[in-house]
Amino acid sequence: IMSTPSAKTASAGSKTKTSTTTTTVVKTTTTTTKAPQQKLATTLGAGAKVKKAKTTPSGKKAINAHSNRELGSNGLMRFSRGRMFRRRALYRIDKWKGAQAKLQGDKTKKTTGSIQKKKQRRSALTKKPVGGDRNGKQRLVQTKRTPRYYPTEERQKKFSVKRKRFGDHPRRFRSTLTPGSVVILVAGKHAGKRAVVVKHLSSGLLLITGPHKVNGVPLRRINQIYVIGTSTKLDLSSVKIDKLDDKFFKRVRSAKKNAEKDIFDSKKEKTQLSDERRQTQRDIDTAVLAAIKAHSDSRLLRRYLKSRFQLWNGVLPHKLKF
Amino acid sequence: MTSSKKVEKPQGSYIKKGRLYVKAVFTGFRRGKRNQHENTALLKLDGVNARRETNFYLGKRCAYVYKAKNKTLVPGQKRLNRVRILWGKVTRAHGKSGAVRAKFRRNLPPKALGRRIRVMLYPSRI
Repeated sequence: IMSTPSAKTASAGSKTKTSTTTTTVVKTTTTTTKAPQQKLATTLGAGAKVKKAKTTPSGKKAINAHSNRELGSNGLMRFSRGRMFRRRALYRIDKWKGAQAKLQGDKTKKTTGSIQKKKQRRSALTKKPVGGDRNGKQRLVQTKRTPRYYPTEERQKKFSVKRKRFGDHPRRFRSTLTPGSVVILVAGKHAGKRAVVVKHLSSGLLLITGPHKVNGVPLRRINQIYVIGTSTKLDLSSVKIDKLDDKFFKRVRSAKKNAEKDIFDSKKEKTQLSDERRQTQRDIDTAVLAAIKAHSDSRLLRRYLKSRFQLWNGVLPHKLKF
Repeated sequence: MTSSKKVEKPQGSYIKKGRLYVKAVFTGFRRGKRNQHENTALLKLDGVNARRETNFYLGKRCAYVYKAKNKTLVPGQKRLNRVRILWGKVTRAHGKSGAVRAKFRRNLPPKALGRRIRVMLYPSRI
């Protein structure tokens, strides 16, 4: 990018020089006002004499000649959006024009030098051949026909694209519940036991394991709200957890299509643990146990994981440091 | 000394589950001098004596556990049980001295006044 601020001021009225240089030179027919010139200088690049030249991380120059500020901390700005648009006068700069053209997808709007082509509008009426010898051979027909049906009520607006479904919502995890941290289970069958967080699942649940040998907690999913994160961390970087996701742990329900269900049959079908699950449990546990062994306090850690958390007289959870 | 003792766990461990709730007392309903509103209960949590200490307990589930004459099925248990529970949650602090307001799914019965309420440690935020 060549910086030619002086050249610019000299060629205030010329258009010819612009073709070889970058897109950022302004095509001005009249005398330019100071403000756009200043802006141009910032957009051109190094070497240009500018008061405040800032570079965005991507290397692009940020236009800082006309800044806005907040009035207090309530989100109100000093200048409104329309006002800022006029002050910044971006519409004068071809770079902005180019960006806008890109957004609108108009391929005819290119860089400097190109004349904007008018969109070819289809004429409202087209000629269509008509059969029969006494029908004038042609008819002028509307290109776009009027609709046959006009609904009496407004059509129900469909789900806006911007609104995300619950499945697409971002799942957030507490900073204390990183993979490898030891957590205290506070509810459920294994309440009071300490377990290791293996993975964050895409559904927002945590994947934890005892390890099973240590305290009987299997490889299972648990919600973050039933878990207290402690400051004890393990290094689980070597554990292979790619296969583990929500689908792997989803409960498999047998299809009950036939309505032969006996009313008196109150037995619930026990979920059979698949061999795959058992094997995965063993694999993950050996990796976690190895991580425990590698830890500096491995003996203490093992006993820690075996122990149970409980409150007793004088122990106040709001004063505990977990 | 106790840390060096290895805990032996036979089949079906019988390590007793310790207390996983905070003890609280149901002190009364939310009220002015002459009117009381039974939909909100006031709880005095054990060991919580200042308003800023109550922050931990906000949102926590609380349970009023009581026994009745007839046995009923309790979720998670196979045998019929006399134990019954009224569930609720801690909604906000009450006053400056660590008391707390709680709302139960059904209003607490007045015979629970002065009785034990269990404030669980979940939903956990730490």
